[in-house]
Amino acid sequence: MNAFVETAMLVVGFLLIIAGCYGLIRTYHLLKIVIGVEVAMKAVTMFIILAGFINGKAALAQTFVITVIVIEVVVAVVAVGIAINLYHNYGSMDVRNLRKLKG
Amino acid sequence: MEAVVYICLGLMFIFGVLAVMLRSMLKSAIALAVASAMLGIIMYVLGSVWAAMFEISVCSGLITVIFISAISLSNTDKKDLAKLYEDKERMAFLPAVLIISGVVLLLVVTSPVFSLPAVAPVAEAADTLRETLWTHRQADIWGQAMVIITGALTVVALFKERE
Repeated sequence: MNAFVETAMLVVGFLLIIAGCYGLIRTYHLLKIVIGVEVAMKAVTMFIILAGFINGKAALAQTFVITVIVIEVVVAVVAVGIAINLYHNYGSMDVRNLRKLKG
Repeated sequence: MEAVVYICLGLMFIFGVLAVMLRSMLKSAIALAVASAMLGIIMYVLGSVWAAMFEISVCSGLITVIFISAISLSNTDKKDLAKLYEDKERMAFLPAVLIISGVVLLLVVTSPVFSLPAVAPVAEAADTLRETLWTHRQADIWGQAMVIITGALTVVALFKERE
């Protein structure tokens, strides 16, 4: 595999991080915010695999990716739980409603 | 094999951006699942078979199911969605931001200063994942177990029936 493929992966990864962060800061929908985080995390996962491929340590990179995937799932599950609670309380998943909570 | 990586990379980028930009939550969740599947294929081609399997089964499968369950539990009218979140107007600048960032990144990677390190020879066989995970990265296993337990307890607390 030539260096051009690796450079293309790097560029696409950075663009996906920018897209994810843009979604993160420009929407009020809690599920959309989680989707933005997930998109950025896809790029980070790809970077870890790319680093493992370049260093010749694919097994080590895979262990890190498995950890990232586990954390990704837990983040998604907890965020979805909070979103559903928000919907039950206020009728929408707008994050601005979180300001109205006690405490 | 390079052609497969290029195609999957392009599709992953398109569906990743669509997941952020689309107004429909269901379409966003499906676009995210497709982006995950494309990433899984890229991982497989690069030799990370186990990580690819996890990516496709967990990220492309389980997370999509979680999102679709959440969407099915909330039924907001499409017209109200636009009023509630004003997403369409707020997301309009994303293509412009991506084009500008893409041009800047292309200028950086084509400059003579930028160079990626050469690919090193494979230092370990693919089947040493088990050994790496259970001997060198054992702390990660405990961390993952704690994270999963914390997630499960949080979900139990969040979905507790109110009296």
